Amino acid sequence: MIIRALLLAGLAAIGWLVFLRRNRLPVHIVLMFALLGVGAAAVLAPEQTLDDVAHVFGVGRGTDLITYLFECGALFVGLHYYTKFVELQRQVTDLTRELAILRGELEQAQRREPPAP
Amino acid sequence: MDSASDRWDRRDIWVVIAAFHEAAVIGAVAAEVAAAGWSVVVVDDGSRDATAAAARGAGVTVLRHAVNLGQGAALQTGIDYALRRGARAIVTFDADGQHSAADIPELVGALADHDIALGSRFLGKPIEGATRARKALLHAATAMSNRMSGLRLTDAHCGLRAFRAEVAPRLRITQDRMAHASQLLAKIRASGLRVTEVPVTVRYTEHSRAKGQSGLQAVRILFDYFFRPS
Repeated sequence: MIIRALLLAGLAAIGWLVFLRRNRLPVHIVLMFALLGVGAAAVLAPEQTLDDVAHVFGVGRGTDLITYLFECGALFVGLHYYTKFVELQRQVTDLTRELAILRGELEQAQRREPPAP
Repeated sequence: MDSASDRWDRRDIWVVIAAFHEAAVIGAVAAEVAAAGWSVVVVDDGSRDATAAAARGAGVTVLRHAVNLGQGAALQTGIDYALRRGARAIVTFDADGQHSAADIPELVGALADHDIALGSRFLGKPIEGATRARKALLHAATAMSNRMSGLRLTDAHCGLRAFRAEVAPRLRITQDRMAHASQLLAKIRASGLRVTEVPVTVRYTEHSRAKGQSGLQAVRILFDYFFRPS
């Protein structure tokens, strides 16, 4: 019972954070709340119901089904942020390069025409 | 030899030197190249030592990355700068003193009838200071690189190379770190550029050996090449 209360409180906290930082597209918010809802249902559902759902997917126990889904979710999140990281790194490279070239050109120009005293 | 490369003024040929923590040697390296009449741009890749000041002391153009990005990124910065300055051809040259400016004329000369000329340490000129183990490692890396790129080269990763400015966009480096050398070969193969190898002299010193690639770094290069989208 305590663990159920803790899990539900955790899901509610995530939902509240998502609501506060709702700067993403509405579809992302809806998807997030749907996932939280599924999570809450999994916490509240009797164990047998979860096992029945797991059997539909060919998995022996409800706990295993949730573990598999969690693994898939974690991999997806990891890949998503890795892609973002590579994209950000490319932007940092472009910015650093442009800054280096602009500073170099500025130094060249100043060498040709020293600033007036 | 033609023509175009003979007509080029040496000031129109830009030698790009990517440097990271090379304060001890970069001044002499840049001065040697500049003394031969080539235009030189040193890209200090976010060094925390006096690399930039030492290069400036040699009287060459110095660009400075605000953060360390890697050799591939630094070379591309220098190439972009050289192209903006109207370069006719680009030469890449290592900062650690292992290359000789005396090899540049032959590399540039080869651009008369090729788009890119790659330096090779295994075409007869001496390799000073290389141990047997290092030579074996270089041969193994070349064999693997040839399998990956589909090219047939005697030396896959010599940092001394020259290419015509007009093919630079097709050779754009997006691998920021050391995997840029393999990426370059893949791009040469994919774009069907006319490539040749030119024998070059290499002198490994204690300093250049200390800056060389370790086995672990080789693993990182492979990871970057295969898993970092380019």
